Parts: sequence; C-alpha cells; structure tokens
Amino acid sequence: MVIFGASGDLTKRKLFPALYSLAARQLLPEKFGVVGVARTEESDDEFRERMKAAVQEFGRDDFREEVWQGLADGMHYVAGTADDGDEVFKHIDDALAGLDRDRGTGGNRVYYLAVPPSAFETIVEGIGKHRPSEGWTRLIVEKPFGHDLQSAQELNALLHRHFDETEIFRIDHYLGKETVQNMLAPRFANGIFEPIWNRQFIDHIQITVAETLGIEGRADYYEHAGAIRDIFQNHLLQLIALTAMEPPIDFTADSIRNEKVKVLKAMHTPGPKHVVRGQYGRGYIEGQEVPGYREEEGVDPSSMTETFVAAKLFVDNWRWADTPIYVRAGKRLARRETTIAIHFKRAPHPPFEEAAAEGLRPNVLLIHIQPDEGVSLAIGAKVPGQGLQIRTVHMDFLYGGAFRTDLPEAYERLLVDCMRGDASLFTREDEVIEQWQLVDAIVAFWRRDRPTFPNYAAGTWGPPSSDELLGRDGRAWRRH
Amino acid sequence: MAATLETVPAIERRLAALRLGDGGTRLRTNVMTHIAWVPTEWVEAAEDVLAGLAARHPSRTIVLFPQSDGDGLEGDVESESFAMSEGLTICTDTIRIRLHGTSAEHPTSVVEPLLISDLPVFLRWRGVPPFDGSAFEELTGVADRLIVDSTEWPDLPKPYARLAEIFERVAVSDIAWARTSRWRSMLASLWPAIGKVERIKVTGTEAQAHLLAGWLSSRLRKPIGLEHELSDKLVGVELDGRPAPFPPGNPPLPADLLSDELDKVSRDPVYEAAVLASV
Repeated sequence: MVIFGASGDLTKRKLFPALYSLAARQLLPEKFGVVGVARTEESDDEFRERMKAAVQEFGRDDFREEVWQGLADGMHYVAGTADDGDEVFKHIDDALAGLDRDRGTGGNRVYYLAVPPSAFETIVEGIGKHRPSEGWTRLIVEKPFGHDLQSAQELNALLHRHFDETEIFRIDHYLGKETVQNMLAPRFANGIFEPIWNRQFIDHIQITVAETLGIEGRADYYEHAGAIRDIFQNHLLQLIALTAMEPPIDFTADSIRNEKVKVLKAMHTPGPKHVVRGQYGRGYIEGQEVPGYREEEGVDPSSMTETFVAAKLFVDNWRWADTPIYVRAGKRLARRETTIAIHFKRAPHPPFEEAAAEGLRPNVLLIHIQPDEGVSLAIGAKVPGQGLQIRTVHMDFLYGGAFRTDLPEAYERLLVDCMRGDASLFTREDEVIEQWQLVDAIVAFWRRDRPTFPNYAAGTWGPPSSDELLGRDGRAWRRH
Repeated sequence: MAATLETVPAIERRLAALRLGDGGTRLRTNVMTHIAWVPTEWVEAAEDVLAGLAARHPSRTIVLFPQSDGDGLEGDVESESFAMSEGLTICTDTIRIRLHGTSAEHPTSVVEPLLISDLPVFLRWRGVPPFDGSAFEELTGVADRLIVDSTEWPDLPKPYARLAEIFERVAVSDIAWARTSRWRSMLASLWPAIGKVERIKVTGTEAQAHLLAGWLSSRLRKPIGLEHELSDKLVGVELDGRPAPFPPGNPPLPADLLSDELDKVSRDPVYEAAVLASV
C-alpha cells in the first residue's frame, strides 16, 4: 500500500490506527507492506516512530508491541512529491520492489491519495507510468472528488487515462460505518419493514448530519467547499440513496451501486425555496463561547461560505413520489448526531379520546449513525394504571449492546474491502456525476442572491428559515 | 469514585460505557428526559425528591447545579437499577453537572447533546425562575413541560404574572397547584351552593391561598375575596366564614406530586386560568 500524503492528518488519525487494528485482528494480508510518501524529509525509522505514536494516540485498541512490530517491519518511507518528477517514483518503485522481494506482495498495489486534489494529476500520471507488469493495482481517492460537475468529469477522465473504473475506489468514509451498511439489513433481511417502506406508510424522512465542531483550522479547504460540498454532495446524498434505493438483486458492488444511482437520477432539483443555507455567528458550545465563522482563523471576514444547508428533496419514482426527504447538515449545531428518521403516517383512526392520546407522536424509526450506532423505534403504549392514556416509548437497539463487540472504524472496513476488491461501499463514477449535477444546480441559483450572514448562532439548530422549510408543510424537525 | 467528567463528550462516553457495561442483562428504559435546575440552596430537597422518582418514571435525569464561581463544567454519571416484577430489572441513568461561568448562563449547549431523541423533556425548576435570564429562556425552549413549585416563591402573587407570560411557549405544572387537588375536588362537590360564595379563607401556604382563590374566581367567573392565614401546609378552607369539610385521604408525598406531573404532557387550562385570575 502506497500512501501519498503520509505526513498528513488523515494518515496519522485514521489510516495507521485502522491498519494497526486490522493487524491486531489478523485481518491484514500476510504479504503486506506500506510505503509512505510525503514532502517531509525523514528516514524509515523516523516514519515508523511517528506512526507508532499516532497509533498509540488515536488507535481504538490497546497498543501491543509485537503487533506493531509486525506492521513496522514492512514500513518504508519515501521523501518527495510528485512535482519532483520521475525521481520520486523511482524511489517508490525501489521500495515496492523490496517489499515484493521481502514480503511477497507479488506486484499487488493499493495507492492511497491522501493529498489535496491539486496534487492528484501528477501523482496519477506518475502511478500510471510506473504500474507493475504483474499483480493488480487499485487507487483510493479521498473526497472531495472535484468541486463541481466539470472538475469531477475532468478528474474522472484523468483517472481513466490510467485506470479502469473497477480499479478506482472513491472513498466516502460514512459508507464504511456499520449502521450505514446495516441500513440494508433492516430493510432487506426483515419481512416487516420492506412492505411499509414506501409513500403509502411513510409520511416523510429526515436526515441530519450535525456537528458541534467548527472548521478546526481547515479554513483553506472549507472556504472553497462549504457545507454543500463538504457534506451534502457526498454523505447526505449517499444516505438518501441507501435509504430510498430499491432492493438490489444481490449484494455485489455493481448491483448495489446500480440501485443507488437510480435514486440519484430520480431526485429532481429542488427550487430555491426548498433549499436553505446558513452561516454560524458567535454562540455557545458546551457552555463556552465560540467565535463566529467569519472570526475563525484564515476565514474571510466577509465570507459568504455556508456552514449549514437544509433542503427538501423528492425522489420521483413509484415508491417515493410526493414523499419529502428533508435533509440538514451543518457545523456548530446544538449536538453531534447523524441520524436517519423515518416518520410513519399517523394511525388513521385512533379509537381513543383525544385527551388520552395527547402524548402520542407518530411512529418514528430512527437510525443512529453517530455517536451511538443503533436503531430505535418510537411506539405508542398505554400508561399503566387506571383509565387509558397513551404515550410514546422507545424500543432501542444499540449495536455494542447487542453484539458485545467493538464496532470497526469505518476506515478499517474500507481498507480491507479495497484490498479484497469489493467496491460496494465506494462511490462509482456515475454516482459522483449525478451528485454533482444536483449540487451544481443548487449552487447556480445561490449565485443570484446574497443572504444575510451570519444567520444562526453557534450551538443552535441552524437559521430560522430551516424551521420554516418544514413549518410550511405543517411539520417540524425532530427536536432532539 | 469515578473521575469528574469535564466535557460533554466525556459524559456521553461514560453513558455509553455504562450501557455496554451491564452485560445487556438489565433493561435500560426511558420515557422522557428529566432536567432539574437546582440552585445551591435547593440541593438537599431536590436529592430527596429524586430518590423516590426513578423507579416510577424511568428516565434520563440531568441534574444541573449552577455555580457562581469558576469556569467550565464538572459532571458525573451513575446508573441505578430497580427490580421489577417477574425478575425483570430496569436501569436508569442520572447525570449530575455543576455548571460554572458561561455554562451556567447557557446551559442548553451542555444539555442538548444529552437529551434522548424523540422523547418529551420535563424541566423541574427549583425556586423562583429568573424569568428574564438566559438560562431559563434557553431551557424552557428545549422543554416540553416546565414544573415549578410556587410554594418556593416569595412575593406572591407578583411572580404569577411573569409565569403567565410563558404559557404560550411551554406547558407548565405547579406542584403547589397539585397540593390543592384534594381540596379542589371537595370544593367542586359543593356545587351548586358554592356558586354563591364571595370570599374564601385559606389556611395554608401563600401559593395555595392564591391558587385556590384564583381557581374559584376563574371557575365561577366572578371576583372572590381572599383571606390568608399562613401555615406550612393546607389545613383548612372557609367559604364566606363557614369551614368547608376536610377532604378525605392523606396529603401526597413530594415525590408522588412530582411523579404525577411527569405523567402530564399537555397544557393545563384550568391551572392557567387560576394563575391569571390570581394576579
């Protein structure tokens, strides 16, 4: 595995802790090695030491020296960037040849692009020219995959000059989360859900991707991306696709992705009134005052970048016609949560007196993706005692509680899948194109007006217009 | 004793660890989130009431202790188990958080991540609420029901006017009102004769006196004169100088009173009318 961007945050916080956890569980291939590539000058040993410290700090498992040693023995480092020309790829080739010889990796390669998109082109060209003659080659590309439709198409064209679509793994780590995958299990492994998973029984769907964090020093990236490119274009649209897709004929990568792309194609562009954007001002998180977005380091004091986006979307097909899917995503919101809430229609004729059912809310199937992965169902139940009073109670299923095992980090699952050649949880070219088409259409009408920013205080649930988006339909966001 | 938790994520992690740590053998169940705002002078009384509550209203309880000094927050989490019938054990979580500095002024930013999704939120406010304060404004914004005990309030009936201003925003329960329940039933049973009453004398707390007079006035749609004799509990009512019969049964315990209010989810128009008539 060759990691470009080996001195970056992603390598330190996610990739090496994931590789270590896989090694600890003996889930890495026996014949495995890593070549880190980055601008920083350092030796193999210095690279090993730095990654060891990262695993100790960010890993989810207790650190065991013998596990680490097994991984570290196959680690090498190449200093340089693709801008250094062919020279750096020759060094990489030498390191890889050594691994083929010493660890029997047989010319099989996973290249991980953990670098900014501006560096993609020279790296991809370099890898293309230096492909080994034997074994397989796979390329993992981190988001953002382009910044609009045109750039995404150009990037695809670049990748396809050297790689077949089956060799390209566009990563969206949300898709590696256990609950996202388990979206498919409740629907397709249980007889009771699928028959009611449609417009006849479901009133609407709410998807929330809320963070309490701000931009955490990533002003350069965020100023250009905003919430729509950072979360909406990838995570949110993928969550909609998984929620709304038809049953695939099997669980192979292409069958699942064929169904997802049909959902993305069936989504019509929301009108300007159906999309809300916001930017946070000063406010309170965990009782502490935090600065507004425009006061963050590196952010333009008159920035018009959105840190919140909400939309009312429709999937125009037989199953979902006229069923709104409300989505919202943002930074510095009231709590950290990623949830998919399926709001079922009210019982048609509750045979109770009105007062008895005052505490009753419609059934909601809530799929928690973070922080606690699990599923809960809100149902109406009788309050014990005299008379008849109905109240909503919860049936909870928490992953960790039911299966008594730690959930794997998303990157662990995705790295193994890539090594096995399973692309089910990676985004295919046509999905990316559909996602960007929708985003481009939204951004196009944003260019025509100038909202008043900031329009929500940090630590709240976004601008008032987000509540109005549902209020106009006689609905409200889930409150907590 | 476990180390103090200084951040909300640390509290969330402790909650998750408690859930996983019980081996799945205990049923953790909740019907609501119960927030209690407990200024220092109310700590002892609040703990006494909470002790009797969890078994009847399995809930996540978040007890907030605003502090006048320091900065940040100090939290701890504990689980309590209750044996139910047929060998079933249920388990609830209580989170206690000391709020210092700005976190006491903006407690919602601490509490909101800890609320249980989609279940009602009850807010018990000890003492007289600072109606203009940011903490009260924020917490009533996330609560479905505010529970006060106006027996704890000085200068009655003045604060009732402020209370009435929030009726449109949040449903309100008053434990002082609940304490008059037996007496109201008894007085209602005197209909139609009670319709001619002009004056009421209440021997009880100030809150009970104002609420009973307000109730009678709003029900009969006419002004009722009030005479009040102070007592720490409601021991007698006179109507136009004649003692009303003593209601049957024993007065409920503090935990029972709060427990009853936690069963209610909608506004109480009779209480609201009594409050409006008392000011």
